[in-house]
Amino acid sequence: MAGIEFSEETRQQAERIGSADIVVGVAGPVAADAVRTRAETVFGLLGPSFTSLRFVFAWPSSAADAPAASLAADQPAALTFFPFASPAHAEGELWAGVSAQQRAVLSLAAHLNARACIVLGADLAALHAHPLQLLAYAVLERQCGLVMPIYNAAKYDGLINSGILAPLNRALYGRRIRYPLAFDFAASGAMCARLARLESHQNNHGGSGLLWPVTAATTQSPQTTIGQVHLDVHHPTASGGLDLSAVLAQIVGSLFQETEACAAHWQRVRGSQPVPVWGAAAAEPPEGQPVDTRPMLDSFLLGSRNLDEVWRLVLPPNTLLDLRRLTKLAPEDFRMPDELWAGIVYDFALAYRLRTLGRAHLLGALTPLYLGWVASYIREVSVLSHTDAEQRLEQFARVWEEKKPYLLSRWRWPDRFNP
Amino acid sequence: MPELQTIVRKPGSNSDPLWYKDAILYEVSVKAFQDSNNDGVGDFPGLMQRLDYLQDLGVTCLWLLPFFPSPLRDDGYDISDYMSVHPSYGTLEDFQRFLEAAHDRGLQVMIELVINHSSDQHPWFQRARHAPAGSPERNFYVWSDTDQKYKDARIIFTDTEKSNWTWDPVAQAYYWHRFFSHQPDLNYDNPEVLEEVLSVMRYWLDMGVDALRIDAIPYLVERDGTNCENLPETHEIIKKIRAAIDEGYAGRMVLAEANQWPTDVRPYFGNGDECHMAFHFPLMPRLYMGLRQEDRLPITDIMAQTPAIPDNCQWGLFLRNHDELTLEMVSDDERDYMYLAYSADPRMRINIGIRRRLAPLLDNNRRRIELLSSILFSFPGTPILYYGDELGMGDNIYLGDRNGVRTPMQWTPDRNAGFSRCNPAKLYSPVIMDPVWGYEAINVEAQQNDPSSLLNWMRNMIALRKLFQVFGRGTLRFLDSSNRKVLAYVRQYQEQTVLCVANLSRFAQPVQLDLSELDGMTPVEMLGYVEFPLITKQPYALTLGPYGFLWLELQPAMNTVEMTASASGEESFYVESENDWQAVLSADGAMKLEALLPAYLQRQRWFGSKSRSILHAKVDDCLLFDENRSALVWVTVEYDTGEPELWLLCLAMSFGADADALRESAPQQVLAVVGSAAISGVLHDGMLRAGAPAALLEVLARGEELHTRHAVLRGLPGAALPGLRGAQPLTTRPAGAEQSNSSAIFGDRLIMKLFRRQQPGANPDVEIGRFLTETAKFANIPPFAGSIEYRRNGHEPATLALLQGLVANEGDGWQWTLEELDRFYESASFSRSVPSALAAAPADTIPAQAREYAGMFLEAAATLGRRTAEMHLALASGRNADFAPQIPRPQDLESLRAGLSAHAARAFDALKSSLSRLPDDAVEQAALTLSRRGALLGKFAALTQLGEVGQWTRIHGDYHLGQVLRSRGDFVILDFEGEPARSLEERRAKHSPLKDVAGMLRSFSYGAFAALTHYIARRPAELGQLEPWARLWESAVSAEFLRAWRETAGQSPIVPAAREHFDALLEIYMLDKALYELLYELNNRPAWIRIPLHGILSLRLHPGKN
Repeated sequence: MAGIEFSEETRQQAERIGSADIVVGVAGPVAADAVRTRAETVFGLLGPSFTSLRFVFAWPSSAADAPAASLAADQPAALTFFPFASPAHAEGELWAGVSAQQRAVLSLAAHLNARACIVLGADLAALHAHPLQLLAYAVLERQCGLVMPIYNAAKYDGLINSGILAPLNRALYGRRIRYPLAFDFAASGAMCARLARLESHQNNHGGSGLLWPVTAATTQSPQTTIGQVHLDVHHPTASGGLDLSAVLAQIVGSLFQETEACAAHWQRVRGSQPVPVWGAAAAEPPEGQPVDTRPMLDSFLLGSRNLDEVWRLVLPPNTLLDLRRLTKLAPEDFRMPDELWAGIVYDFALAYRLRTLGRAHLLGALTPLYLGWVASYIREVSVLSHTDAEQRLEQFARVWEEKKPYLLSRWRWPDRFNP
Repeated sequence: MPELQTIVRKPGSNSDPLWYKDAILYEVSVKAFQDSNNDGVGDFPGLMQRLDYLQDLGVTCLWLLPFFPSPLRDDGYDISDYMSVHPSYGTLEDFQRFLEAAHDRGLQVMIELVINHSSDQHPWFQRARHAPAGSPERNFYVWSDTDQKYKDARIIFTDTEKSNWTWDPVAQAYYWHRFFSHQPDLNYDNPEVLEEVLSVMRYWLDMGVDALRIDAIPYLVERDGTNCENLPETHEIIKKIRAAIDEGYAGRMVLAEANQWPTDVRPYFGNGDECHMAFHFPLMPRLYMGLRQEDRLPITDIMAQTPAIPDNCQWGLFLRNHDELTLEMVSDDERDYMYLAYSADPRMRINIGIRRRLAPLLDNNRRRIELLSSILFSFPGTPILYYGDELGMGDNIYLGDRNGVRTPMQWTPDRNAGFSRCNPAKLYSPVIMDPVWGYEAINVEAQQNDPSSLLNWMRNMIALRKLFQVFGRGTLRFLDSSNRKVLAYVRQYQEQTVLCVANLSRFAQPVQLDLSELDGMTPVEMLGYVEFPLITKQPYALTLGPYGFLWLELQPAMNTVEMTASASGEESFYVESENDWQAVLSADGAMKLEALLPAYLQRQRWFGSKSRSILHAKVDDCLLFDENRSALVWVTVEYDTGEPELWLLCLAMSFGADADALRESAPQQVLAVVGSAAISGVLHDGMLRAGAPAALLEVLARGEELHTRHAVLRGLPGAALPGLRGAQPLTTRPAGAEQSNSSAIFGDRLIMKLFRRQQPGANPDVEIGRFLTETAKFANIPPFAGSIEYRRNGHEPATLALLQGLVANEGDGWQWTLEELDRFYESASFSRSVPSALAAAPADTIPAQAREYAGMFLEAAATLGRRTAEMHLALASGRNADFAPQIPRPQDLESLRAGLSAHAARAFDALKSSLSRLPDDAVEQAALTLSRRGALLGKFAALTQLGEVGQWTRIHGDYHLGQVLRSRGDFVILDFEGEPARSLEERRAKHSPLKDVAGMLRSFSYGAFAALTHYIARRPAELGQLEPWARLWESAVSAEFLRAWRETAGQSPIVPAAREHFDALLEIYMLDKALYELLYELNNRPAWIRIPLHGILSLRLHPGKN
């Protein structure tokens, strides 16, 4: 099988199944009985336009309790359950583990010559009829190679995504993707094969192993059509008990690595293109509890005292001066301008490439700055509605695009003697 | 010899079969790079230690000089065992470890295949000299009983060898050698030799070696009566070598060392079936020559002599290598010059060349090093760096042979330059130690710590080059410029276009480049990503500092990129029903719509701001109508500079077969895909859906008021509407010719114009149309039937739509005129007489020839003149402030003069700077025009002295043949909107009606010459004959038009009372119009420049005189 080494037993099971129209795969371990019952219910609700399709529902299972593939009870013969033995190396903390399992599902789908593969998070939050319908619709009816979700997240949720991943990804690769790293997404058969192959490429270059399907879809030729669907799905906070620095180091480090690997591509991308979106945005999510930003500001101030020397290696004098000004502001006046934050992330991406200092150390030094941005952002959007907050993020992303020439010039001529 | 079966065949390390086209080669001597065991000689373990450095530098392929067992009498090019490693450099296992480590870092490895000759110590030679003459063993080499064979072959090492033959006392025969006498040439007439060579080659390729440099390739085979170079038999051997590689290996490369002229090297590429690469030897000395002479000619000249090569082949480019700077491929004069310029000390010379490194050759001038390197990195080919040149290492001319450029690599300021920890006396070569070039001054460690070092510069340049495949794969086109100190060229590959400009001079240089073919592209300086001014059809001016160079990536206008992407129709809205506008215009949908709009607007003919860079578009207001099947959407468009604009969109959704038809017939008007699992359709321009304009007609006719979020929409029916509309239902269809507005036609009775650009204030088209129809009762316009206004709180109303009666016609005046002129030229071409000049005839007299050939059009011109004057009289009949005529004040004339003069100055300046690129037949006229600049400008100066110039009134404002319809032997005048690019205030300003008159006269001139251009395209020989006829037609038609206008206008106060004032003012407006045309043609159609030039030169130059 492309990219992933499965057990002999799994390969044989796949051979027995032969092929499928749609593989729906769970990227992480689940309780077999519960998932079967749930899946049977959901597939029963998919509606008449799906009845002629052959579905395989797959999930990783430990070797001990991995039963053979079987037809779903009381279901049309078109639904087959496929608990597969998780590949040996499909492990890792947090997103590394998720990505490995996502690759396993994609690889299975490629092996089964599926027309579409829907990857679901292990919490099964998206295992409902409507999300499956939308994801399948975008791949099968709209010929999308890749379909990413737009989660109906509350305005303080997913801020690593909103504050770094989404705007950086958009500025670099020119596609307006709201969640470039997602638990749930769908891919066409061709894209499955491509993503499965990508795994070996990343590992060859010492990659972190995170799967960035959007990067693969935009940087390889021919380019893939990407779509987005609104999913009224809420995943619990996915830090897995790790501290923020570790999460940032893993995710942002991986993104920086992709940035370095794809430099020849993104340097020729200008502006950004919208991507089609299907499904309606659900009602505004609950406002959530007010967030106390003082600890974040304290971390920022502490960082400014302790990490000043590190920041000096990475950031140009104007940025350092702006940060110094920020430290003098009263908490209620604290506001980190979009341009400043975008420039900081760009400078860290460059320092990551140049190995200005140890990469772990470098990413650690980003954490207090990130908390400063979070505090600033939360204070700003606390008075905004969900819709207005989304529009604010759109404006924020535009700033990253406008500032991209700064990254380009520094990347191409990484002279420390700059303003 | 190792057992071949112990080698496992490894694949090539790069999956791209053309990897060598994008490569950066780094030539390295194992001996000189790093000594790991402190024996004074570099080795493979040492080289491995330095791989991180090479990876960091960014090079992608390492070219290893010979590392095989050898007596080392020619720096390893005298090989005594092809399948092992010289013990000084390590073991075969060391090499394999090195190879794996290099591949792990993404580096390819090229080794030497020295197969023209071996060392005389090679067992093959020792066996041969002892074998009987004629035996297969003896025949491994080339033997002769005489030294007179192959006499036409030159001696290459002239400093050391007197003959290519050397007597061997053991063999009792002469053996052939093209190089040193200890390097006997292998005999390729013996098939066993090639078999052995192929075995050697497979041995290394099986190990994973990526590339082979075939040394001294032109000399493989010898034939009497030839110079023994480049023989067909040699190419046969190379083809066999290549076939063996292609048969067994993927992703490998063979590089030919053939120090020959480009045309002689070309055969070494074969049809892509010999060598993948070959060095471009003659370019190298010419780069140095061009630099020293501050003249691009030596470089462009040798590139002009460089033939095209097969697509899978590549030139290898270099500034320096391990040998001397060879001067074999230059003329005697050039060689003398190079010796004088670059080898002041005779010790710097060897054989036919100069044994110096890059930096000493360039007097250690950093800017010169950077300049030549920039050319190396941007010329078509794969650049090859010689170790140490990235630091600017020096040489030692006091060492023998070419050893002065083969000294140890300078890593640190420590002992032995960090190359070895041995006793300095033990080093294979002394390190460079002098104060300027010594290792204490120039070394890797120091330069790594110096952000401004040459090493860091090289690293950045290499990284930049690697980002753009155009450098390795693109075409090359030199740009001509009058300044030969500047070398400029365009590289192009797929969507990548790069302009490179290099100043070969030690002083700053200006240059003007003709980039008209790249009109509309934006140059972006590649090192700093700095945007330069947009390229136009005008010469592009650049200034370069001493030895400066620019790499400019030429990017298409941003909007073009977006347009291409979104034209694919990928964007879509998920709608659940056929009028689910919520999905499109709700907050989320609107955001997506806004993202699509910049590209959509750029595709629309009516969008008049295409030349501006859109920052973003924002939905400002909207209104559903047409039973919720269509929507009016007001969009604010913001640009990178200047004021934002408000534009009106009419949108509709169509589904099923209707959608398919729209996709087919009007793809540019499709904005997005809409649909769900149940329905599939498109969102498109609503004016294509009959229901939308029909619904707007109802709003207008009923005088309805509709409320949007911010404004009120109100129908204002005209008095003539009931009669024009009739009682019967009317079918609706879009009007074909869409320009700055969109129109729909109702039956054969009405036409509605939807104004796309929304500006608060009275629209002149509506205002004048209503006035002429309802107040002045002027019949020769489409009758005004009503309008729809859009009134925002606190703003003047903007006009959304204008409704007029539809006029039956035979086409617009421009098309009709061209057709008439075609017939005129047809008749004239049969005429044997030459037309007399109108100017010679009495004033206002039409020559008989004109009446004979263009009589019908003369009548039409008179009618048009009459109608034009009637229109002006009607416009002057108004009494309210908007229409009442006024006598211009002195300050009005002064303001007009200043505006016209400034405009004229711009036109003259543009003409002057474009002179060199004008068509040959226009240059003389252009020069003549420029010579009259002062006199022509003087015409405007006279304006303020005219005094009485007649009353000023509302006028048409954009009057030409395209603005009239030919209708039943008469003319109907259209479109009172004025020039759309101007503000409403400017368009509503009052002027002399002579401005319209001048516009029409210039239009006649354009008609005459446009039709002539079209006519002679089929019969170019008739140009000389027909040109006087064109002038005759123009003169006669203009005279007739003017006569009728004056006659009709009579003594009206809008006509300047004095004839000389009339003529002077008319000429001023005609000059202004012709200068406007001049600018337009310079920027858009230089081939048409003669038309306005002729118009300008036809004007009289003495203001005030008739």
